[in-house]
Amino acid sequence: MATVLLKDVKKVYSGNVTSVHDFNLEIADKEFVVFVGPSGCGKSTTLRMIAGLEDITEGELYIDGVLCNDLQPKDRNISMVFQNYALYPHLTVYENLAFPLRLMKHPKLSNEEIYKRVTNAAEILGITQFLARKPKALSGGQRQRVAIGRAIVRDCKVLLMDEPLSNLDAKLRNQMRAEIILLRKKINTTFIYVTHDQTEAMTLGDRIVIMKDGFIMQVGTPAQVFDSPDNLFVASFIGSPSMNFIHGKYKAGKVTLGDGSVVEVTKEMMKLHDDFYKSQLEGGDPNDQAEQFLRDTHGVDLEKFQKIAGGEEHEVVLGIRPEHITLVKEGTKGAIPLTIEVNEMMGSEYHIHANMDDGSKVIVRIPTISLEEKEREEMVPDHKIYALFGSKALHLFDPDTEISLLRKKEAKHEEKKAEVKEEAAK
Amino acid sequence: MKMKKASVFLYLIANIFNTLEIVAGLVLTIFGAVCAIIKPYAVQEIIEGQYTAKYKITQGGLNQMATICLAIGIPMLILSIILMILIKKASKWPRPSVGTNGAVMLIGLLDGDIILVLAGLFTLLARRQDPDMKEEQNHLGLRASRAIGNTFSYIVLAIISVVWILPFVFIVLQSFRTETTSQVGYILPKQWGLDNYLFLFSPDCDFLTWYFNTFIIALACCILQTIMQLMMAYTLSRFRFKLRKPLMNIMLILGMFPGFLTMIVLYQVLKAMGLTQGNAVGGLILVGVASSGMGYYVSKGFFDTVPKSLDEAARIDGATRFQIFYKIILPLAKPIVIYTILTAFMGPWGDFIFARLIAFGDPNGYNVAVGLWSWLSQSMISDYYTRFCAGGVIVAIPVIVIFLFLQKYYVEGVTGGAVKG
Repeated sequence: MATVLLKDVKKVYSGNVTSVHDFNLEIADKEFVVFVGPSGCGKSTTLRMIAGLEDITEGELYIDGVLCNDLQPKDRNISMVFQNYALYPHLTVYENLAFPLRLMKHPKLSNEEIYKRVTNAAEILGITQFLARKPKALSGGQRQRVAIGRAIVRDCKVLLMDEPLSNLDAKLRNQMRAEIILLRKKINTTFIYVTHDQTEAMTLGDRIVIMKDGFIMQVGTPAQVFDSPDNLFVASFIGSPSMNFIHGKYKAGKVTLGDGSVVEVTKEMMKLHDDFYKSQLEGGDPNDQAEQFLRDTHGVDLEKFQKIAGGEEHEVVLGIRPEHITLVKEGTKGAIPLTIEVNEMMGSEYHIHANMDDGSKVIVRIPTISLEEKEREEMVPDHKIYALFGSKALHLFDPDTEISLLRKKEAKHEEKKAEVKEEAAK
Repeated sequence: MKMKKASVFLYLIANIFNTLEIVAGLVLTIFGAVCAIIKPYAVQEIIEGQYTAKYKITQGGLNQMATICLAIGIPMLILSIILMILIKKASKWPRPSVGTNGAVMLIGLLDGDIILVLAGLFTLLARRQDPDMKEEQNHLGLRASRAIGNTFSYIVLAIISVVWILPFVFIVLQSFRTETTSQVGYILPKQWGLDNYLFLFSPDCDFLTWYFNTFIIALACCILQTIMQLMMAYTLSRFRFKLRKPLMNIMLILGMFPGFLTMIVLYQVLKAMGLTQGNAVGGLILVGVASSGMGYYVSKGFFDTVPKSLDEAARIDGATRFQIFYKIILPLAKPIVIYTILTAFMGPWGDFIFARLIAFGDPNGYNVAVGLWSWLSQSMISDYYTRFCAGGVIVAIPVIVIFLFLQKYYVEGVTGGAVKG
């Protein structure tokens, strides 16, 4: 059992630079949590605070129910994998792996026991044949394996990983990613993983914590953050190529885009839209830090919201993922005319960068196989295509606060709780 | 092809002569300058004080000599340097320039130097004969041009090293001289023998006491200072605490004052503690070790290059700060550890000022430097000069041995601290 609980954890560097604001998160036993965000968002700082390498300025950190704020890293029963491997260059791989074991005091391990554990970890990671070598004589991928080996050899409660794959080349990274998934099945511990790569976050995490400027923007399963992002930042950060954002005017379930095309939203969305503005008038959800942060930073024009709640036409940001746009024949109802600007051929799919008539940019992602050969040849700059936005896949954001208008708050919270319970049961 | 080879060969010879000319010009100019700058009577005084009258050079003679040396040396130097540049250009295959070759030939004619004339001629002929410039020829030409460039450097370096090494050779030779113990006006001994060395180890000589004193001081300083200095460097490199930067700056600035500024105060303090004269060994150890933390700079620079994530990884692996220091950092910083040990040993080994001050008056507290120096006083020098030389050789031996074995690390230590990597 090793849960991690962060309560209002805050990091302020000297000079009053706040790197992490009131970080609240409960991590269940054996859960795989990924912190993701652009550089400088505080994800590594948070991880290092959990590791004990940085002091916690305010707030409380519990590992397995024990308050850990003032414990030394060695007393927290955690292990960590560093981005630059941090292998001890003067020791062989065997000694590198044995290093944490030799330092253990309770119980003090015999040499045979150390040998057993090291060879066991080496076998799990497939580095048995390198045990006699120095780290210098290993490739990047092998070094990373040794680093992971050193972290798992001690059977720690929590395994922290700080961008472990960033120093590897693209192909090796994919391979190691798959191996981390396999590793997780073998060693059964709580993982906290930091990355700036949303693909890693999506593929590895049970839950993803998306951060920006020291705030958590959303916490959720990969599916949740992908399908129902809480705000514009999450929507743009998750998914590749990222979501298209088009400004438009909303009135009674219809969004009029800049070029005059009209996109209809579903009934459910209309209701969520109305609920959102009502709740914003009441000050929003006080427990939702991301929402409060966005309200604070962008400012809320209550008068405007009042009018919107009364049904007046207003600006929205319409979001649609490139893969949810379909190409249709000219003249289809609701089709939006686009002019191709650049066509990126990715092999299995096309990424078509196109302009709407008013100049808004749209990226369309089309599987190569869905196009006839003749159509493929037509996908050249300045060619006109017609696109249909699937109404179920639409996202709406408030242009001022950048919060999603379509958040199913209650449902989501219950879902989250169920998820945590389910994990715990496992 | 033959023409080409001849031209390269001739230019190489011309270059050697020309380089000798540069050297001669250099020596004359320097000598002339020294004579002109140092007032002749001052030179005379120095010479008179140290040596016998037969070395005396008259004032007028010196002035004349300076004028002659400068008048010949400077034009010679300038001309030969110009000629060197010309030769380098003229012999530069695959495209030896016609102009420079012409110029070289002209200088050769004016100078009556047949080699230059021929070299220029052959080069021009070879150039005309073989305009295709084949690969092998280029190779030959480039090699010649590099050789010409190198000759000059080697000759200058050779002169410098001779100047450098001469005193050592002199001391070693003197230490084996047995016909008299006083100073003489020649270098090679007339009678060789080990008498001087045997005297040093005889019971009626204090040399062994001094040697032992020095060894104790150097060893103690070496051990204690290394430990303190490295720990200090590690602390300043890895820990962040209040006033860290000011502390480092203060120590750096304090380190810029020469240590002997404090000697009068130090003497009083040590005297009060009873660590002077006969007990000078203890006092000198104290003086050597007390400020050792201030020499943190080089080792801190080296520690800074060891990635911090190694410390962090070790901390998470369960190591204490001290374990990190001796299990991770020290093995990685082996060059700097050895560098620190060497410098810590060398300081007290060659110390004179403090040793002289603190041990003043009691030969039992002397270290070798002070002891040997006492043999050079006017009343003793005629009996002890060759013994002094022998002592000097014996003092140098341990240091030479240490350096022979550890020089690799020493160099790494000196450069490692400066280069990030």
